[in-house]
Amino acid sequence: MSILAVLTEDLLVRVNSRIEDGADRRSWRLVCKEFLRVDSLTRKSLRVLRSEFIFSLLRRFPNVDALDLSACPRVDDGMLTLLLARGAASTTASLRWNLRSLNLSRATNGMSFKGLALIASACSQLEKLDVSYNCRLGDREAAAISGIEGLKELRLDKCLEVTDVGLVKIAVGCQKLEKLSLKWCMEISDLGVNLLSVKCWSLKFLDISYLKVTNESLCSIASLPKLEGLTMVGCPLVNDSGLEFLSRGHSLKEIDISRCEGVSSSGLVSLIRAHCNLMRIIAGYLPELSAALLDSLKLLKNLTTLIINGTQVSETVLQTISSNCKSLIEIGLSKCIGVTNVGILQLVSSHQKLKVLDLTCCGSVTDAAVCAVADSCSSLVRLKLEACYMVTEKGLERLASSCLLLEEVDLTDCSGINDSGLECLSRCSRLVSLKLGLCFTISDKGLSYIAANCSELCELDLYRCTGIGDETLAALSNGCKKLKKLNISYCIEITDRGMKSLGSLGELVDLEMRGLHNVTGVGLAAFAAMSKRLADLDLKHCENIDDSGFWALACYSHNLRQINLSNCNISDVTLCMVMGNLTRLQEAKLVHLANITVEGFELALRACCVRIKKVKMVSELRLLLSSEILEILHAKGCIIRWD
Amino acid sequence: MVHLIITRKGQVPSKPDEVLTQQQQQLITADLTSIIVQLISTAGTLLPSVKTIGQFGQFTPKPAAVSPEQQQQQQSNNSMDVEHNYSTTEEHEEHEDGETEHLPPGSYEILQLEKEEILAPHTHFCTICGKGFKRDANLRMHMRGHGDEYKTPAALAKPPTVKEVGSAAEPVIIKRYSCPFSGCKRNKDHKKFQPLKTILCVKNHYKCNTKKFSVMADLKTHEKHCGRDKWLCSCGTTFSRKDKLFGHIALFQGHTPAIPPDETKTVVALAPTDAAAAANKLADGSGLATMDFNSGAQALMDFKSVDDPAGAAAVASCFSPLNFDSCNFVGGFPEFNRQGFDDSEASFSFLLSGGSCNYSSQKTGGES
Repeated sequence: MSILAVLTEDLLVRVNSRIEDGADRRSWRLVCKEFLRVDSLTRKSLRVLRSEFIFSLLRRFPNVDALDLSACPRVDDGMLTLLLARGAASTTASLRWNLRSLNLSRATNGMSFKGLALIASACSQLEKLDVSYNCRLGDREAAAISGIEGLKELRLDKCLEVTDVGLVKIAVGCQKLEKLSLKWCMEISDLGVNLLSVKCWSLKFLDISYLKVTNESLCSIASLPKLEGLTMVGCPLVNDSGLEFLSRGHSLKEIDISRCEGVSSSGLVSLIRAHCNLMRIIAGYLPELSAALLDSLKLLKNLTTLIINGTQVSETVLQTISSNCKSLIEIGLSKCIGVTNVGILQLVSSHQKLKVLDLTCCGSVTDAAVCAVADSCSSLVRLKLEACYMVTEKGLERLASSCLLLEEVDLTDCSGINDSGLECLSRCSRLVSLKLGLCFTISDKGLSYIAANCSELCELDLYRCTGIGDETLAALSNGCKKLKKLNISYCIEITDRGMKSLGSLGELVDLEMRGLHNVTGVGLAAFAAMSKRLADLDLKHCENIDDSGFWALACYSHNLRQINLSNCNISDVTLCMVMGNLTRLQEAKLVHLANITVEGFELALRACCVRIKKVKMVSELRLLLSSEILEILHAKGCIIRWD
Repeated sequence: MVHLIITRKGQVPSKPDEVLTQQQQQLITADLTSIIVQLISTAGTLLPSVKTIGQFGQFTPKPAAVSPEQQQQQQSNNSMDVEHNYSTTEEHEEHEDGETEHLPPGSYEILQLEKEEILAPHTHFCTICGKGFKRDANLRMHMRGHGDEYKTPAALAKPPTVKEVGSAAEPVIIKRYSCPFSGCKRNKDHKKFQPLKTILCVKNHYKCNTKKFSVMADLKTHEKHCGRDKWLCSCGTTFSRKDKLFGHIALFQGHTPAIPPDETKTVVALAPTDAAAAANKLADGSGLATMDFNSGAQALMDFKSVDDPAGAAAVASCFSPLNFDSCNFVGGFPEFNRQGFDDSEASFSFLLSGGSCNYSSQKTGGES
């Protein structure tokens, strides 16, 4: 009797739609064939890791409407042709009809206007396109994108060769555009933004960060009738008068003016007075917070996020914020000068609903403040206390007893933290991310508590925690099965035994293990053989790992996407094997490899030149490598960084 | 009829007065010829549709003798304009924004100088033969060679000032100039022909005069763009400046900036728009041997991705790691055999499985 007799397919579909975690979905698929089929039918988004599997995947998941190709080693016109051209595989017909979202971020140079034109003609339903970080994407490609009439969201971050001409083509062609990001498109000027404001009336969110636009652009942006969110981080030529122009515009909900040198409190005041519905204000690195500004916060009844990093505050300032803002959920005071216990006390006393608090580098904060936070804000989810060195286990104890919803805690460089503090913290069983870098006073004992109780932990940072050894790793491999990202750099007590136990962390994707002198090839090989999902590995300065370890990497770590082998003792042949056999490898740092000859580098680079996107090498090699290989790499769009 | 008048007039003085000196005779003939010239030129102005277009060197079909007065007038015109125009810059845009004189199409005659003439550093031109000179004094010396009438003290003297010329009664033929470069707004064949006023305008306008190139090829490349408006709208209108183009686009729906066709971006040379053609090209191994290394490497890359344009069945097979046959025909390439590394894990699996890895691990086959 199959399960469908009990639970109809509709019910199964509903249940399946609530499963988000990748591991959970995998276990769903393993239950039985009906469950597998339900999963296949309901799957809407697909993130492809290798291009050769696209067709089989599309056959299995016919209802996919969001395709993410950013992780594919090589996305070019040819692949897009195969994917979308008429007369190609049978699966493309449904893809052409269904595709709503396409992610082509960080594709190689092989993608040009021809591929994009094909997308425009084939995918009539496309609404969301991400072509960010394609440095050679220019006006011709923008012209091709402008052919996608129904486009609503477009990301052009760091498409360095797009100029005003390309932007205007998109503005005229994609009239329904709602979200546009032009971050780092340095060629864009006022002319382009002006015309964008004239043509794209549906724009709701616009990101013009780092562009060299002036107040003129803000004047035009103010005329956009539906604008809700504007991000303009680091715009050097904008000042308070520009913000005054913005005041005339449609009511904004979100504004980010961090690091704009010309902007001061008065500009922000005029903005606040005009836009009473503001929900999120991110204004980092203002020169100072004037009384007028603090006073104007009273007008914002809906303000939920206030981030004022890097500025001068005082107890009065924090008190004023506390009394004027009643509904804050997120407060950012990272790197602010003048944050004291009293200030924090006054700030949090009226904000019971606070969820996110960032006190990075607020060195004067002590346990008293942490206790105050714990007492007031029981809904706290994210707390950042990096470099608050006076915080000790007393604060953590109070924190853990009342803030049980905590998911992210950052205690980097908090030298006051010790094992008993960790024992207290471990009571927060919902912890997902824990950063304990540079905490020299913690040891295996403290971590064992964390490992035992925090089973949801996905990210753990133990950078330079010299007290940590193999036992921690053993404990983690038993208790934190969901661990995806781990940093054990310079935890020199760790040996091969610990590495072997790490292998049983089936979900581990990102491992940074710099400077582990006691780990040899044996340990690495044991780890590599079992760790199937590993995508990012940093082995810098692991000088005692010999070829057997790297050989195992080449043999088993098929999902490796980024590797740092700097200062390692790898040999010519092994390097060639690593670079050649790991078909997903896209970024490699190969600085100061003492045993590799120039020929060895040549060979290794040729082995991977088709798919490698970023390589870092010593600058001396620039003259020693053949011009041939450098030309090939350049032609394939690979970026070489010379150290 | 002209000949009759001349012969009659010539006959007239010879009959009654044999006392008339040679000089007087010459003066009379000069007068007569000037009258004839006026007749012809006024007849020309009466025909509005006729535009006498000819090169400067072809001035000779017109009546050979030009009266000293006319010549003086022309010289003074030249000098006037010369003084006036020295201050204009050599920028194209200046002329465009400046004088937009509104002359009815037939009221002036258009002359087009040859490029070589414009490029020469001459500012004074002989109206008879078109030879150019740097100095007016040189021109006057040259004019002596065109006939004795120019040897008069009046002709050899410096050109008169404006006031004296103004009293002359003859109608002045307005001459305008056309740029020889086709596609330029100042060319007579252009839709929006805006003529240039004097020869100096022509020289200043033709930027190549001021831009010196040591290599002929560079001059030719420059000429391709000289005078052409860089900013192009989708409706066909050209603009000299970016902000003008954008202002135009803001006004109208549906207009977009157009990327000029001869701008070639560096695109992957063999990106297969026509997949079948690319496959055929690759199938022809001889074609590959002639390619240079870089494009050949691209061919390799494109081959891998456009492996099988036609057959859907073969698509899966071409990507399977064990299918070596389709990958191997480019073995003749003078390149280290990269085939083995690319996309085919199988190539290494048999090398590695015999290695020192004692751990029983399962190879990951499919996607994660």
